[in-house]
Amino acid sequence: MDVSQYLEIFIDETNEHIQSLSDNIMALESEPDNKDVVNEIFRAAHSLKGMAGTMGFKRMQRMTHDMENVFQEVRNDTIEVNSEMIDLLFECLDAIEGYLEIIKETSDEGTNDNEAIIQQLNSFLDGTANAPASAPAAEAPAGESQAGSETPVSKKFLEETLDEDEKRKLKAAAESGKNVYGMTAYVQKDCLLKAARAFLVFKAVEEFAEILVYKPSQQNIEDEKFENDFSIFFSSEEALDKIVDAAKGVSEIEDVVAERIPVEEIDHAPAAEPETAPSLPAPAAGTQAAASKQPASNAAAPKKQAGKPVTSRTVRVDIEKLDELMNQVSELIIAKNSLVSLSVNSGSGTQNQAYQEQIEYLERITTSLHESVMKVRMVPIESVVNKFPRMIRDLSRNLNKKMELFMTGEETELDRTVVDQIGDPLQHLLRNSADHGLESAEIRQERGKPEVGTILLKAFQEGNNVIIEVSDDGNGIDTESVKRKAIERGLVTPEQAENFSQKEIIDFLFMPSFSMAKKITDISGRGVGLDVVKSNIEALGGDVTVKSVYGEGSTFTVRLPLTLAIIQALMVIIGDEKYAISLSSIVSIEEIPMGDIKYVEAKEVINMRGTVIPIVRLNQLLDIEPPEDEQESLTIVIVSKGEKQLGLVVDDLMGQQEIVIKSLGSFIDNSTKIISGATILGDGEIALILDVNTLM
Amino acid sequence: MAAYIGTTEVVEEKKQFIAVKLGSEIYGIDIGYVDNIVRMQKITRVPKSQSYFKGIINIRGEIVPVMSIRLKMSFGEDVFTNATRIIILKIEDQGKIGVIVDEVKEVVNLDVDKIDKPNHDSMDNRHSFINGIGKNGEELISLFDIGAMTGEN
Repeated sequence: MDVSQYLEIFIDETNEHIQSLSDNIMALESEPDNKDVVNEIFRAAHSLKGMAGTMGFKRMQRMTHDMENVFQEVRNDTIEVNSEMIDLLFECLDAIEGYLEIIKETSDEGTNDNEAIIQQLNSFLDGTANAPASAPAAEAPAGESQAGSETPVSKKFLEETLDEDEKRKLKAAAESGKNVYGMTAYVQKDCLLKAARAFLVFKAVEEFAEILVYKPSQQNIEDEKFENDFSIFFSSEEALDKIVDAAKGVSEIEDVVAERIPVEEIDHAPAAEPETAPSLPAPAAGTQAAASKQPASNAAAPKKQAGKPVTSRTVRVDIEKLDELMNQVSELIIAKNSLVSLSVNSGSGTQNQAYQEQIEYLERITTSLHESVMKVRMVPIESVVNKFPRMIRDLSRNLNKKMELFMTGEETELDRTVVDQIGDPLQHLLRNSADHGLESAEIRQERGKPEVGTILLKAFQEGNNVIIEVSDDGNGIDTESVKRKAIERGLVTPEQAENFSQKEIIDFLFMPSFSMAKKITDISGRGVGLDVVKSNIEALGGDVTVKSVYGEGSTFTVRLPLTLAIIQALMVIIGDEKYAISLSSIVSIEEIPMGDIKYVEAKEVINMRGTVIPIVRLNQLLDIEPPEDEQESLTIVIVSKGEKQLGLVVDDLMGQQEIVIKSLGSFIDNSTKIISGATILGDGEIALILDVNTLM
Repeated sequence: MAAYIGTTEVVEEKKQFIAVKLGSEIYGIDIGYVDNIVRMQKITRVPKSQSYFKGIINIRGEIVPVMSIRLKMSFGEDVFTNATRIIILKIEDQGKIGVIVDEVKEVVNLDVDKIDKPNHDSMDNRHSFINGIGKNGEELISLFDIGAMTGEN
């Protein structure tokens, strides 16, 4: 059997199972007697084994098989869960992940047998008398669950319950002159990728028909929440035989039955209320069971949706295709912008007004198209952060410190490219908190803190940014010691250091090879640290800041843009050059009379409704000739980053525009990072994009 | 690129260069690097960049940085005329970069084994960007070392 076409499904599903195993093994560690958790682990290991076997990954199969054996014994209460076992199970998981990595790259599992782990697994079993018997026993439960649903091929769809909405859909189709059919497809019992089969059946049917109702719901089918059969109702003008044949053509589909449903019978179909179900003639006891089971699973579906959003399961699209789509949208927006600039320059008249209206319409479409494409590219950060609890657990053991990780906002969404790249920086910040942040148990006791240290990872959206905070209740940053170190290393003179603000001192931590670790540990202190975090995050268009109170803890705040490619910007003119400032960082635009400019420490400031805001003359900053004539007032764009505000003096405003960010490339030295990119305006001219974050 | 000359059956390696003029000298740019040649156009200045970068231009929706060879080789400021061109070079893994030349003369075929090594005795700055001297008839063509010219120094 050629399985290569299922490789992607296999990789995704294996990832899910590994994650579920990891979560459950963590849960098992805290409550070793929880049988539900044991069963869940057993089930995941069993599915992994089955999938690996089908795909021909023998080593992976063997590893999961032996894991399953151990769990079989745990289930039978013949061996007990201890910390040694938990450690070993995590090693197994790492090994399986290792296989998966190799599979991702080479489509083959590699040659590492992980013999040592397997032997250790088996040594757990040797402690029990019936080790050899465990293997066949392991197979049993899988068969059990299927036994219940063993029914002869029947027209199950006739017993499906339909709610009012579904009935309406079917009736509407029937009344529009189309034939309405019901169909039940039976999947082979040993089929492993049932959802994939179901999907292929739907695809085959959709060639000829429109599927109106899914039983169980489409979501449940995709989540593989069905036994060995599923039913659909569809409308079509094609011959039924053709559709049935197409559905039967899907491999591992055992049988397909279908029948036309006359319009008058739609109303007589079993109603959604379970009470009405028994009143219908039940041909087989088994199907009755299935019918009564149905409302239950229906009820479960909305509940699930109310919880975490189902992630990246429904459509799998190559990221390259999305990039391409995004590029095309970018091109479209540039083209739209040039139409807009043409329309501004053309004369007036009724014809022009109609033209203007169309341009506005086009603008609305491109904006919403961009939003849609952006949304498609968004994925929850969950896929990155859900590895962290395990990491903290390992760190806790290695460092011999008690700590707990709390996470909120895992469902926060970011552009796929950003999500792919924030893993390392976040991991580093967490390690930093665990290693440098949290104190040893003795010191914590002295300070009257709880023995178990707390690390908090909090993600949320704020305007056009996503904020991820990593905080701990540990030591905080000892600014005096950082200062000493900076002086020691000749970065500042002691006199200079005296005048440094806390922020300026903390900034030293982000300098290359400035490590505060007193001794080099496995975890951190090798000098490749916060500077890499900072540059990684800046490369994504974000920034990182720290707040810390010595003795109480620190908070690292990572701010990331929601999207990388297209932003709303304010276009400004300085001298004869045009610049774009991201709208998301702009607070307001003010016209300030020259007389209202005050000086604090020889720097220009303005007083805005009680807040003193420093101002920057962009022409000086960007080496542009200042305007010759005396001005009576200044146009100032107030921008903010977090709580900080800054006024930027510009010569003129051009207005708001949607711009496509383009990189300056690698040749031009942009180490000051004032310019974050360039954009092409409607007339083909280029405007530079100012990164105001670097000015604050 | 091989060419048979007469009946002697001696295979001579030939390489194509674009001959450009900078001041009074002729320089050669390996045609393999050349993506496009465009007329002088408005260059958008990028503040705080290296002094020899004139800025960026828009080549069919793509942002391309433009460098002044004159400034890079300390020849002084460019003088833009009607003949001034920007040659867009494509450098592997680094993308496109434009270089300003006074004039594009022609495409020349040079025998690879007739290219002399440059004289590196003098520590003159400009020589470090030249990796060969070719002869086109009576004319000498200094061949640019594209990697050195576009790289940091």
